[in-house]
Amino acid sequence: MAKDRSQREDFTPPLRRLLIAVIALCLLGIFLVWRIDSPRVERFRTQVTDRVVPGMGWAMTPVTGMINLLRDFQSYQRLSEQNRELRSELRQMQAWKEAALQLEQENARLLDLNNVRLDPRLTFVTGVVMADSGSPFRQSVLLNVGARDGIMDGWAAMDGIGLVGRISGTGKNTARVILLTDAASAVPSLIQPSGQTALVSGDNTAAPLIDFLENPDLVRAGDRVVSSGDGGVFPAGLLIGQIATDPAGRLRVRLSADYERLEFLRVLRHHGVDSVTDPGTIVTPLNAQIPPAATQSPSGEGAGDG
Amino acid sequence: MAELSTSRLWLMRAAFPGLALLIMFFQLLPLDTVPRRWAAPDLLIALAFAWSLRRPDYVPIISLALVMLMADLMLQRPPGLLAMLLVLGCEYLKTQTAGLREASFAGEWAAVSMVLVGITVLNRLILLIVAVQPAPLGLSLIQMVLTIAIYPAVVFVSQSLMGVRKPAPGDAGALNTRTRART
Repeated sequence: MAKDRSQREDFTPPLRRLLIAVIALCLLGIFLVWRIDSPRVERFRTQVTDRVVPGMGWAMTPVTGMINLLRDFQSYQRLSEQNRELRSELRQMQAWKEAALQLEQENARLLDLNNVRLDPRLTFVTGVVMADSGSPFRQSVLLNVGARDGIMDGWAAMDGIGLVGRISGTGKNTARVILLTDAASAVPSLIQPSGQTALVSGDNTAAPLIDFLENPDLVRAGDRVVSSGDGGVFPAGLLIGQIATDPAGRLRVRLSADYERLEFLRVLRHHGVDSVTDPGTIVTPLNAQIPPAATQSPSGEGAGDG
Repeated sequence: MAELSTSRLWLMRAAFPGLALLIMFFQLLPLDTVPRRWAAPDLLIALAFAWSLRRPDYVPIISLALVMLMADLMLQRPPGLLAMLLVLGCEYLKTQTAGLREASFAGEWAAVSMVLVGITVLNRLILLIVAVQPAPLGLSLIQMVLTIAIYPAVVFVSQSLMGVRKPAPGDAGALNTRTRART
């Protein structure tokens, strides 16, 4: 037996080297294919994740729960201190609750007065966070809702309060949400009250950077950042967070969503924004064939006359 | 005896993908969704190195390649690149086992560190060449250093708990011929 084996081993080195070369080339080939035709390989990756991760779910949920329980247990040690903090916070909250109730009533009255219709198509699907990206270099989570539930790429994911990220990659049962903190994430946004537009682009830190801001002087720490809906990326007006300046003086967004505990995420159904395409039949007659450059002045005059 | 060792061989060959899945499972747990300033060591790489150096027959190249490709896919890395570098690194280390068997653990550790540094640098370089944005430099460096630092612990655990240790000179009839054939 030993002899048989040693004979076989004598032939292995060239074969072995060939095997190593073939396998290395295969892997390199996969990498190059990914580089050239990324969407196809990413779809394959989504399918693999879709197959594997739900299978782990039975173990993942209890283990995550146990670890979180242990973490919470540490906080029991300073129970009385926390109690005191909570009580003082509760007092503040009650004052805020009063204010919120009044504002809500006022808001409802005003909406009623103006006969405002909120977008009826902005409904949501709620999913549970199953897994995160597993790597410190990527910020994403995996939800347990997917194409089966009608989830589509590009939809917005929120927790109860603020925007969390964007769907990118949907399998049958799972969907990946690229978080706003990921280096690949960039969201067109609007800064209130100055009305400046900017990009909120993640850079793998807890607070994404504000990019492409026209006039930084108009923006102050504490300003609200909401999605602008530019480019049809997200519905407009989703809360992202508040402006803050980092020690280097750059503007960042302190995110409103609670990234410490992402458990349930709402995925907003969003079917794009209808854009105005025809020139309008009142201002210009339907049958008039006017070149686009010439349409501007007559319509402007028409508006002025009216 | 021969049957026992064969069954153990296959058991350990199955144990490697199992352990790899376990490591991936714990990495995928949604515990930390806030970006961290540091990166945890890559246990999978340390495990692959430790086993390749101790018992190359427990981690055949096919299983190594498949496991690493799976890890690339699951952990959102560019698929294939790190797997390729790691397979090449492990195979290089396997050819060094004969020389390192006599050397002390420090020598082995140095060799592993060198390979790991090489893998990190090459990974970055290739990503830059094909114009993919690589991971932040600080994070990769932290991960590399921590992986080197945790390597002795991984070796200790695989030796003491899983019995993956270098075959002693006495009982290594088959293995000796194998290493001689390879060098």
